[in-house]
Amino acid sequence: MTFASLFRRSRPAYRSTARAPGPVERLAAIFQAVPAAPRLLLLPLAMVLVLAGIVHLVSVLAMPRLAQASAYQRLVPLAPVNTLVLLPDRGETVLPMTDPAFVSAVCRYDLRERPLKVRVPQTGDYTSVSFYTNRGLAFYALNDQAAGRVIELDLLSQAQRAALPEDEEITAADRLVVESPTTTGIVLIRAFARYGDVRDAVRKQLEAASCAATQ
Amino acid sequence: MRLVTLATTLAAAAAIGLGATYFAVTHSRGMDIVRLGAWQGWPRSGTTQADPYAVAAFARTGELPLELADGLLFLADSDSAGAPLDGRCDIRISGPLPQSRLWTLTLTDDKGALVPNEAERHGFTSAELVYEPDGSINVHLSPRARAGNWLPTGARGRLRVALRLYDAPFSFASGAQDDGQLPRIVTERCP
Repeated sequence: MTFASLFRRSRPAYRSTARAPGPVERLAAIFQAVPAAPRLLLLPLAMVLVLAGIVHLVSVLAMPRLAQASAYQRLVPLAPVNTLVLLPDRGETVLPMTDPAFVSAVCRYDLRERPLKVRVPQTGDYTSVSFYTNRGLAFYALNDQAAGRVIELDLLSQAQRAALPEDEEITAADRLVVESPTTTGIVLIRAFARYGDVRDAVRKQLEAASCAATQ
Repeated sequence: MRLVTLATTLAAAAAIGLGATYFAVTHSRGMDIVRLGAWQGWPRSGTTQADPYAVAAFARTGELPLELADGLLFLADSDSAGAPLDGRCDIRISGPLPQSRLWTLTLTDDKGALVPNEAERHGFTSAELVYEPDGSINVHLSPRARAGNWLPTGARGRLRVALRLYDAPFSFASGAQDDGQLPRIVTERCP
């Protein structure tokens, strides 16, 4: 037997074994192997899974819109628009998972008519201001150390920010301007009460904070 | 017959889809989970890049997540060995804490509500705690009064510990470092 003949003979065999079934054929083979009655169930089952996936995605994305007890809705009966309200200290918590070591104040804002001015005095310890959209998405935060002494900033809607004159932006370089992605939302002001007994004093200091529409 | 199949298909799809959504919003706080030992953090949930699961979960509970520029929240439902935190046991939280301007440690039940107690003690702040000589913390959670940094558990079944680090460096949030960065939680004795 020559080397060439060996090669010739082996070649067709090699070809036939190497031709692996494609994914479609393999799937068809599995489908054929399933008895007729369960086969009828395969299509509805696949449909159920695909539809369930769509329902899941849509419901997750719609949740912020449909939720009945979101932070914004919880604050509607408690806080009038563009007014600072201190959250109750003890007893029932308005917003879940708030840090009990902090004194919190909220301001439900509406920028449809005018921009909002937020001013937070120094409390002598960690103080921060965070901004949330009406869907509860956090979009900006600032603490006392990053701001200098007193936190003072203007919250503008996208349209108000766009209408802001260029030169005014330059002259007011020391003024902090924050752009809100939505026209309504929540400002959360929090001040740290280092010890339990300074809580009332911190609360008094935070009462001096303001959150009001600009004139 | 066709109609019945269609109706069943749609009903099953709706049930599975909504069931999965319910499970997701009640059991998770978002997809960008960072695990450091027993602790779990969700650094991006407090930013505009929060994923839809985090946004949906917060919309349902009404929680305003901690802004990342403000602070970082870590939660622990189980000890470092993986056993759930049981309020009837003696639990020790010890080890060094990462750099931050201040931190608070809060004890809650598994729903996130403070554990009621006569002493009105719900946690420690970085200012109150008595530190170990090397600067690490050592906190005891126990139904019975203990010497040192003790938090009463009220003999509640399941507990959750929340650690909030304020003004912490951002690099820490990425979870690039190995664990040991956050304190270890050890269940020492169970009745």
